[in-house]
Amino acid sequence: MERSPRGRTRDGSRPARRDVLRAGGLMLGALGAPALLSACGTTASANGAGNVLRVSQPGDPKTLDPQKQGDMVSMNVLINMFDTLTTRGRDNQLHPRLAVSWKATSKRTWRFTLRPDVRFHNGEPCDAHAVAFSIKRLLAPATKSPIVELRYVEDVTVIDPLTLDVHTTLHDPILPAKLSLFGGVVVPPRYLSEVGDDGFARRPVGTGPFTFVSWQRDHELRMRAYRDHWQGPPSLDGLVFSPAPNASSSLASLQSGGVDLVAGLTPDAAQQLQGYSGVRLDGHTGIRTSYLSLNTLEKGPLQDRRVRQALNHAIDVPLLIKAVLGGKATETPALVPRGAFGFDPTVRPFTRSVDRARALMAEAGYPHGFTTTLTASNVDSNVAEALSGLLAKAGVHAPVNLLDPGTYAARLTSDNRGALGPLYLAASTVWTMDGQSIVQSNVRSDRRQSRWHSKEADRLIDVEELSEDPARREQAFSDLQRLMREEAPFVFLYQLDNIFARNDRPHWKPGSAGVLAMQSAEVSQ
Amino acid sequence: MSEVTLDEPPTRTQTPPRGGHRARLLRTILKRLLTALFVLLCTATVAFFLVRLSGDPVKILLPPDATAQQESALRASLGLDRPLLTQYADYLWGLPRFDFGDSLVYGQPVREILADRLPATLELAGAALAVTLVIAIPAGVFAAMRRGRGSDKTVMTGVLLGQSTPPFWVGILLILVFAVWLHALPASGYGHLANLVLPAVTLAVYSVAVVARLLRSSLIDVLTSDHIRSARAKGFGPLKVVLTHGLRNASLPVVTVVGLEVGSLLGGAILTERVFSWPGVGQLTIEAISNRDFPLVQATVLFFATTFVVVNLLVDISYSFLDPRVRTSR
Repeated sequence: MERSPRGRTRDGSRPARRDVLRAGGLMLGALGAPALLSACGTTASANGAGNVLRVSQPGDPKTLDPQKQGDMVSMNVLINMFDTLTTRGRDNQLHPRLAVSWKATSKRTWRFTLRPDVRFHNGEPCDAHAVAFSIKRLLAPATKSPIVELRYVEDVTVIDPLTLDVHTTLHDPILPAKLSLFGGVVVPPRYLSEVGDDGFARRPVGTGPFTFVSWQRDHELRMRAYRDHWQGPPSLDGLVFSPAPNASSSLASLQSGGVDLVAGLTPDAAQQLQGYSGVRLDGHTGIRTSYLSLNTLEKGPLQDRRVRQALNHAIDVPLLIKAVLGGKATETPALVPRGAFGFDPTVRPFTRSVDRARALMAEAGYPHGFTTTLTASNVDSNVAEALSGLLAKAGVHAPVNLLDPGTYAARLTSDNRGALGPLYLAASTVWTMDGQSIVQSNVRSDRRQSRWHSKEADRLIDVEELSEDPARREQAFSDLQRLMREEAPFVFLYQLDNIFARNDRPHWKPGSAGVLAMQSAEVSQ
Repeated sequence: MSEVTLDEPPTRTQTPPRGGHRARLLRTILKRLLTALFVLLCTATVAFFLVRLSGDPVKILLPPDATAQQESALRASLGLDRPLLTQYADYLWGLPRFDFGDSLVYGQPVREILADRLPATLELAGAALAVTLVIAIPAGVFAAMRRGRGSDKTVMTGVLLGQSTPPFWVGILLILVFAVWLHALPASGYGHLANLVLPAVTLAVYSVAVVARLLRSSLIDVLTSDHIRSARAKGFGPLKVVLTHGLRNASLPVVTVVGLEVGSLLGGAILTERVFSWPGVGQLTIEAISNRDFPLVQATVLFFATTFVVVNLLVDISYSFLDPRVRTSR
């Protein structure tokens, strides 16, 4: 009897103690009272768990208006709230999503048939009118959209509630692929007219598998499962995205149980994690493709095909992947990555041999090598230094010139093809999964970053870009890769893996583009 | 010689304005306010032109395969194709109305974005200030009372260590120990009290050192003065002497430095926020700079400048209340 009142008094005093803790709690960490606070810490992390998947990636979405952003970090979040017309499966093939079928009805028209009975989270129907509205909104200058995929689209016509025609200025064979991500998001016209652009960005409404709950910038974005999704409800109850710009802090949250899955890791950050208990590392062949661009337009050694081949022989890509990237990349023989339409597996990579490289250079009149510079963005400094070292072995002295990413990007997109110097290290994410997008900006002689002009290559690109027949396109891609393998206007490097670190709760597999669509994800509790 | 020119012209001191101390105080404050406004105008101008030297935000906003037409269309819709001076005039015209324009990246008014993030940064800096005072004052007093002894040296060495360790390193160490090893506190996040502890301590470490060391030396100075000796002679205990007679007199330089620390706590939050993924103005600033989000960079720079200026102003004003000599000398 004595005990129970005392027990109750203790219970009664608990809130008081918590208040004291609250008031003076700031000093506790420093005074080393982890025991007192440990209860607090565990409840905090337990609150986030349950049947909820917590994902962290390096950044926060720029905006929740899917048509006003053009970066993967934003898209990774938004793809869970919005559906696109088409989608890429894990088999890298294009699959129906909001559109059930599509065909080119003429050289410049694509006809899409939509899935019936799809509704937005607010109940508004998602029909041809909504799709037409979405495409027109994306193209309207007032939207200030940074999305460039629909550049050839000039008009959309609604045929009936479930059919629409997309008209382009020239034949665009990969338009359906371009509608699988940035270009293909469908937004609700009625809701937008009710709440305006700002209201929409504050409380986005889509047709996707998750509905918006709350967003605190740079902290966390919460979503709830959308039970009435046309594909059936996702198996997760909720989804939380949080940004962690610093890789070591995101890994610390993973180890301390704050998040379940860390995406967007660089190979060197992932290597820090090797061997920690409770942390698993998954690498999946990705689509981000790296290469060295060579300026063949300016007088100098790079104009000689033998020198360009020599550089390719000199750079031991498998060694680079093993030593610098922890094995988390795959060699790419001729610019187009495996998994993308147009990749030709019969094109072999160069044999890696310093002797072969020296012999070729001597043949070209550079027995003692030459001096040049290798420009790179400072995020790629490790790889750039390693490349420079490998080139030096073959007598090519190419000190590394590192630029901040902003300056690098500005020079890459400037009209001056030489702005990044004779050799620069670049990478391109081929998210349309079509070889066109990497060839697009780099090869055809009228493109801004084209630094190798070949009539034959131009012809093949025209065939590849404008043909309706996939077999003809594939043949053109094969011929183009063979030509590029021979002429070596680039040093072909590798495609990076998508690296995910996770605890043992999540079960999920990404596609090659590494998009964080979490509809199929499950967690074990 | 040059100090003379800094003083007020003798003619004015000869004919002091009516109203005595209070009016003179008001006049000083007014003068300080005008100087502060001028400083802010200069900062705003420098920020405006400097950020535009860094390059073109449109290049970052658009993917590399965008066409030149798409670029110029976006540039026009963001208003970046207008003459520089027009943009500058627009920007200045907006400032008095707290209109910082729309963020180029987020497409939202900068004012709203800042208002979103401000509470988190203020909370962090406030907590860090609390930690600073709670640790630094006892540490300083303790060390001053035991000056020269082993315990003084231990405390001061610890404090010096804190001052010479970079905050991001302290942060990573704390995360490693308290989050990863002990699982006692979350490594990052926002919203719970537990989330606040590690970043606040990280941010406070440097200020603790600065304030504790200054308080110690200032107290030692005061403790050797005559009035303390007479207080001792009256038979007061050492702690009472320090607390009643010493602290008030030693507080003047400490208040100055605490004021300056408030400014650097807010600014220092940039790194700490990065390490702990804290959703404050610091993180926002880094993002804005790397995106070349001109309006946002300008506004965050102005925000940090304003806090420094305001804190300095408050420190100056508080002087005249803490130290009668400042009042009478004017």
